[in-house]
Amino acid sequence: MTLATAVLSRGVEDSLPPLRHRARERRGHISTAMLLAPPTIYFVLLFVVPLMVLIAYSFYTYQNFNFTAKLTLSNYAQALTNPALRDFYFRTLKIAFGVSIAVVAISYIFSHILMYILPRAKRILYFLVLVSLFGGYLVRIYAWRTMLGRDGVVNSFLVSTHVVSSPLSFLLNSNFAIVIALLNFLIPLGVLPIFSAMQNISPRLLEAAEDLGASRIRIVRTIVLPLTTRGIRAAFAFCFIATMAEWVTPQLLGGPLDQFVGNQILYEFGETLNWPLGAAIALTLIASVVVILGVIFGLLRLVTRS
Amino acid sequence: MRHGYFRRRGAAARITARTYVAFVLVFLFAPLLIVVIVSFNPTPNMNLEAGLSLRWYEQVARDPLVVAAFGRTALAAVCTAVISAVLGLSGALGAVRLTRSRWRTAVFTIPLIPLAFPALLFGVGLATFYHAIGVGFSIWAVIAGHVILAMPFVFLIMGAALERFRFSLLEAARDLGAGTLTIFRTVTLPLLRPAILGAMFLSMAISVDEFVIAFFTAGSQQTLPLVLYGRINLGVNPGLNAIGSVLLVMTMALAFLAARSSVLELP
Repeated sequence: MTLATAVLSRGVEDSLPPLRHRARERRGHISTAMLLAPPTIYFVLLFVVPLMVLIAYSFYTYQNFNFTAKLTLSNYAQALTNPALRDFYFRTLKIAFGVSIAVVAISYIFSHILMYILPRAKRILYFLVLVSLFGGYLVRIYAWRTMLGRDGVVNSFLVSTHVVSSPLSFLLNSNFAIVIALLNFLIPLGVLPIFSAMQNISPRLLEAAEDLGASRIRIVRTIVLPLTTRGIRAAFAFCFIATMAEWVTPQLLGGPLDQFVGNQILYEFGETLNWPLGAAIALTLIASVVVILGVIFGLLRLVTRS
Repeated sequence: MRHGYFRRRGAAARITARTYVAFVLVFLFAPLLIVVIVSFNPTPNMNLEAGLSLRWYEQVARDPLVVAAFGRTALAAVCTAVISAVLGLSGALGAVRLTRSRWRTAVFTIPLIPLAFPALLFGVGLATFYHAIGVGFSIWAVIAGHVILAMPFVFLIMGAALERFRFSLLEAARDLGAGTLTIFRTVTLPLLRPAILGAMFLSMAISVDEFVIAFFTAGSQQTLPLVLYGRINLGVNPGLNAIGSVLLVMTMALAFLAARSSVLELP
């Protein structure tokens, strides 16, 4: 999941090994298929088929904490029209937008500084960001409880330095905590594609622009930004998808009114055992994410072209 | 080294830039450092003056549930690494033989899908799949899912290694009369060893750290992250920081080993 953004931002075409024209290619057809078969079969069996089963389950009928293979559309009707669920959707959408934009902005400035202002330290700084990726997903979220709780590190510090007289309660079990934790694990994933996109810009291009008298702002606007849109898109899409389908962070750091769509999916699977409805919500979620990203990127293309 | 763009940046700009970078890095590492520091704290509450203690580590090491979960996490990591290495290597060896560029693009694109796919969706998908075919939840169910997450990385790493691979060596071996299996055992495998090892370490790091798939498919056979999660929900217990630190050290060490095998190459 983590290095994916780097690969995606570089683009598949660029990362393909070079074509090999070899004389014995014709003879190799059978063994090529034999080599490709095991991972393909595994992938189909344990990735494609499970998703097919999920789709099938989303049409099942739920009754009395049980479900049968009687096909119905009512799960989707419920997933799309339930007003309580709509609140979950809008809440998740709002945070996903805010967090993704913030991650892109923070990562962009960070990558820009690394590339052009502190280039001598860029390798070690980039390596540190990569290392922080392996900080453990759950451990990191848990750490924010230690940091932001009533007796947590932040409150102890604020009280002992007399910045506040009593511990702040809004730090934990709030939207604030969710956003902080999401930023914390998504920033490295934002830096990865944006930084690698900037690495691919030829320094000569920038030198040429500078020699021709372009201001720094103009260089950023007309060269750096257009050449890094792929990285920005990858970073945004990744953060958006990850946040829209997130449930652990709101579960552990949010209050009861801060839960995401993911928590509702979990609730249907774990508590009411209404797997068909849970599956329908999950599939509606992924479909809406694809549509929203498509619309955003389509609009962006229109704006940048004009 | 330094090209012309931004060369004229003044001291003030550099100081601002350094402050910004420092802030971001502190923000990224603060939670990790806090977990490790608190895990050595003798008192249940955060108290930096109280000195160091291994109390929580001893408590955790004597906890049979934690020890069992540690064993399962290690088992899942090793199995995931071995299975995804075999499948990923097989796929990469096949993929580089493809000559039609349309096929190659497909073969190198499709494995990327699980990487960007939300774990929640894959998790509930796997759970319904196991339910539909009547397979119970267990550590093996978790491993089967972890392989899907790790295999793309192995495949990509192997693909990159094969990019540098000198296929003429294989032809030379064939000309010298070696059979396909001998060539694979004595030429291909030794040359690809660093990449294979690196990919396996990365797979292990992914498996050790993975939470969502395990949550949906482990059943009662909990892994270490699941034990951590269960106890967070029960309330704060300082032993949790010790479990968290162990997990952190495991993933970071594995990631470091993977990086040393030149897998996580800097661009």
